[in-house]
Amino acid sequence: MDPILTTNILNVVYEVSTLAVVVLGLAVVFGLLGVMNLAHGEFVMIGAYCAFFVQTQNLPFLAAVPVALLVCIVLGLAVERILVRPLYARPFDTLLATWGLSMLLREGVEAVYGRGFKSVAVPLTDSIDVLGADYPSYRLLLAAVSIALVAGLVWWFVRSATGRRIRAVVNNPELAGSVGIPVTALARNTFVFGCCLAALSGVLLAPLMPVQPMLGLDFILKSFFVLVVGGLGSLVGLISGSGVIGGVESIVSAFFDRTYGYTTVLIIAILFLWLRPNGLFPRT
Amino acid sequence: MSAPLFSFAGVTGGYGATTVVRAVDGEVAAGEACCVLGRNGVGKTTLMRLLTGHLPLQSGAVTFGGRPMDGLAPDERHGLGLIYCPQDRPVFDNLSVRENLTLMASADADRYAPLLAAFPILEDRMAQSAGTLSGGERKILSFVRGAAETGRLLLLDEPSEGVQQENVERMAAFLHEAKAAGRALLIVEQNLAFALEIADRVIVMDHGEVVLAGNAADMTEATLAAHMHV
Repeated sequence: MDPILTTNILNVVYEVSTLAVVVLGLAVVFGLLGVMNLAHGEFVMIGAYCAFFVQTQNLPFLAAVPVALLVCIVLGLAVERILVRPLYARPFDTLLATWGLSMLLREGVEAVYGRGFKSVAVPLTDSIDVLGADYPSYRLLLAAVSIALVAGLVWWFVRSATGRRIRAVVNNPELAGSVGIPVTALARNTFVFGCCLAALSGVLLAPLMPVQPMLGLDFILKSFFVLVVGGLGSLVGLISGSGVIGGVESIVSAFFDRTYGYTTVLIIAILFLWLRPNGLFPRT
Repeated sequence: MSAPLFSFAGVTGGYGATTVVRAVDGEVAAGEACCVLGRNGVGKTTLMRLLTGHLPLQSGAVTFGGRPMDGLAPDERHGLGLIYCPQDRPVFDNLSVRENLTLMASADADRYAPLLAAFPILEDRMAQSAGTLSGGERKILSFVRGAAETGRLLLLDEPSEGVQQENVERMAAFLHEAKAAGRALLIVEQNLAFALEIADRVIVMDHGEVVLAGNAADMTEATLAAHMHV
């Protein structure tokens, strides 16, 4: 196979799979709590700064994973209790509150680390020969980890007792409480889980992007586009939305440049909002 | 006489600032059934939602097993043995019939065996999603789920709605069994004959208030119907 084509295909796979992990956290929280967490991208950013912090302490890269999870569990619990829970029945207020939170987190990180770009060393610097194309092994590993993570979570959601209970709460919150599902605790854990998923993405993506306080904005925007295109209803929608947004962006970026990639994605999102506002797989 | 298992006094509440139910009193002892009767829209379901913790009380008190229920979430009340089968959306439509029954229980379905034998229609539809059942079948599924639970108090909101007569009779048989086993029942019903067959006490509501309450044995269908304005 043509090495350039192979490289492009791998790039698409990489973009789509890493994006899907970020959107999954956002979508699971929205599905269960009805809360669109506009600070979701900032949890990605915090994860990336955890990777940077670990590097400044001369610890191995993977030490950033427990650090980021710990930070986001503490932060997620506090945010859920103080901000999200009192506003459950008020979706618009939740948007404002989480948007405010995102600003607070950006400014907070900026106060500590400044506005400048930080870089995190890539843990695996070699590349692997894939069908004649020389592809960085870290990117390949990251795509594989992302695919495994999404597949594992989907499997868990469909098969596990907790997954079934989450689906029950989404379908009928009132009955869920009355059959004994601890709805409040489940919602709290799901929110924290979504934050942790974002932070994990942040850690893993940190070596491949400039780490700076605004990086979360890019993720929240793209995540929105994915949900607009895919629809809020299902995992199929989420994955296909990631496919369209991540795929189009990386293909257009490869043939023209990144600005055209962004523009195309934006146009697609606008067209969807205009012509097919419920996305490819609407909630039934 | 010992204190009733479940009692409520002066229960007042509704949606937001709107009051739907005013100063409703009632009690159910173990082994006893109390039926709440009334036309559509008089606040029977709102009363149930106030008693189960789905709506906050504006005033009044609910006591179960000697314990005040205020501030307890529905799942905490369930944990204490208060089992509720709601009128509207009684099952999880997106889960299969089997998943509806085993959501909180282990896969062992022994406790369902006698119920499933009585309502074979469910056995045939185990793998089907509950959303594809008819209204009456959903009520049966909800009833089976609630009746199989071990909690001491069963709150049923119109269990017979849309259910075929032969299955209503089977429900009545299980409810008599539950009473004999010492469970307390609080049942909202529109079906007078069914209600009078199981009830020991009756509460008739109109415009969110109790208009008649007493022992079922003292009431005729005619008296009740007169108070229900039907």
